[in-house]
Amino acid sequence: MVFSSITFLFLFLPVVLAVYYIAPEKLKNIILLVASIFFYAWGEPVYVVLMILSILLNYFCGLDIGRKAENPVRAKRSVIFAVVVNILILGFFKYYGFLLDMLNSVLPGEIPYRELSLPIGISFYTFQNLSYIIDVYRKKVKPQKSLLLYAVYISMFPQLIAGPIVRYIDIEEQLANRKTSVVRLGRGTVLFIRGLAKKVVIANMTGEIFQQISDMQASQMTVLMAWLGCISYAFQIYFDFSGYSDMALGLGRMFGFEFQKNFDYPYTSKSITEFWRRWHISLSTWFREYVYIPLGGNRCSGGRNMVNLMIVWTLTGMWHGAAWNFIVWGVYYGALLVMEKYVWGASLDQFPNPVRRIYSLVLILIGWVFFFSPSIGYALRYLAAMFGGGAGIADRGAWFIIFSHWLLYLLAVLGSTRAGYRLIRGVTEIWDGSRARTAAALVLYFGMFLVSVAFLVTGDYNPFLYFRF
Amino acid sequence: MKGDNQKSRPEIPEIAKYIVFALVIAYVVLLLLFASGSSRPFEEVAASVSDSLDTEVLTQMDDRMLKRNFGLNSADYSGVMYYTSTSSMSVEEVLLIRVNSRRQIQQITDAIDERIGMRMDAFEGYAPEQVRLLEDAQQSVRGRYVFFVVSSRAAEYRNAFDTSL
Repeated sequence: MVFSSITFLFLFLPVVLAVYYIAPEKLKNIILLVASIFFYAWGEPVYVVLMILSILLNYFCGLDIGRKAENPVRAKRSVIFAVVVNILILGFFKYYGFLLDMLNSVLPGEIPYRELSLPIGISFYTFQNLSYIIDVYRKKVKPQKSLLLYAVYISMFPQLIAGPIVRYIDIEEQLANRKTSVVRLGRGTVLFIRGLAKKVVIANMTGEIFQQISDMQASQMTVLMAWLGCISYAFQIYFDFSGYSDMALGLGRMFGFEFQKNFDYPYTSKSITEFWRRWHISLSTWFREYVYIPLGGNRCSGGRNMVNLMIVWTLTGMWHGAAWNFIVWGVYYGALLVMEKYVWGASLDQFPNPVRRIYSLVLILIGWVFFFSPSIGYALRYLAAMFGGGAGIADRGAWFIIFSHWLLYLLAVLGSTRAGYRLIRGVTEIWDGSRARTAAALVLYFGMFLVSVAFLVTGDYNPFLYFRF
Repeated sequence: MKGDNQKSRPEIPEIAKYIVFALVIAYVVLLLLFASGSSRPFEEVAASVSDSLDTEVLTQMDDRMLKRNFGLNSADYSGVMYYTSTSSMSVEEVLLIRVNSRRQIQQITDAIDERIGMRMDAFEGYAPEQVRLLEDAQQSVRGRYVFFVVSSRAAEYRNAFDTSL
């Protein structure tokens, strides 16, 4: 089930919220678990079994590591088993087809194999499981004795499908003790509506433009059209994923949880290093905590640190999918981060902020070309078109898109910066007095909700990009 | 001595984790047997499915009809086989597609859902038996293969698809 669907908005969510708020405290987690399993099974009736098995496996592994905590050797063996099994499961479902395709392309004969589709959300819930297992081993958290609470942690529907990747350590206390209130429900609803509008209004519309442009042959694109396509995709993926994250945070708040934010206006970054502190924060945090720091982080020689960065970013690329374009995308960012750290980072700081922002945006846009391309060849052809290797500088089609969608692009630019948020706040603060402000906010957000629903009913292009990861 | 024996004896969580691990393996084997696609070439799968079809009712269509009826470009996929009834009063059709990347699956299933919805709107009210066929339409995603059938023999065709993989 998708958050931005009529079934979710007008049936699933109201029913679950009503039952959850009416139910006594001790039943709330059971209700959340049942609702979450139903939510997952709605779209993945086959793979819901895998998710349940994954929950059971890691629950018992956590208990086992906890029991062996006094014996470091046995605890280490146990954590290695848990980590290896989790990676094997993720690797099997996500990469085995890719690996066999690669082998088949180099071997003289062909190895036949049976393909499986990717279980939705597996990359996200596997990383959550790993964060728990590793933190139990490191004695940062105690093993969760309640299977119910552990199952709620992994499966809760607000963050199950596409994150944010909530670390167990950040949510341990809230699983057992959290408070719901009308105020939190209201704040959660506001955040959810903001995310919904980002997704169905801006992401879907810029996505349609990107789709139109990417259907063209790269060699027939003008420079303007190629950049417009890339910019449209940049807006699509940002508003799609940050919109989803806002909805997830909002839903979490409605059910009494506080998740950490996943985006912090990444397109305002003044360097690539800063961009990755602001984009998909939960994934960057996960890789820093569980891969980069254990590898030695930056407390080692420069050479070793460069290797560490490249390992982390190659893995980050691979996490996004079993395809060469994602691996190249990860390596591209690894190389840029190494360069900023060891080559031009200090020089970059000397430039005025607008120049640094343009530098970052250009590199980010080039990165998205690798990300959205179905193959490396396509990416290179698209990049060539962006830099004049296509069909000229500008064409009427590109200008037509700009003039007919200028308001959409203006909204997207405002929404990508703090200006959009300030504008919304400004509108609600024109009136004096808290009641007037509350009424203004109600009208504004109800209006946003209505517009979003209207877009949902009339539109048909509605995928969340990060579902495939 | 007694203490050492107690330490080495596996406890419930340890036994349970191995049991669950075994269940995961069994589950994956079942998935591979009953829910997987295959790397078998498209031509072989298409030929197996095609042989099972009633060609008096269904006729093979070209790329233009796929574009017209589903809005899909056959050039985007590694293989497409599309049969539909030549009668405008019949909703029977069979579609088999092998995608290039898994990303394309959602696009196809969305197009199929849209097609079913449009056909139901068109036939509702005057051809209830055709609407029933649409309600009983079968879709199957097996690895890179997407199979869609609307037919009074839908189960038989679906079975032909499953066994062809």
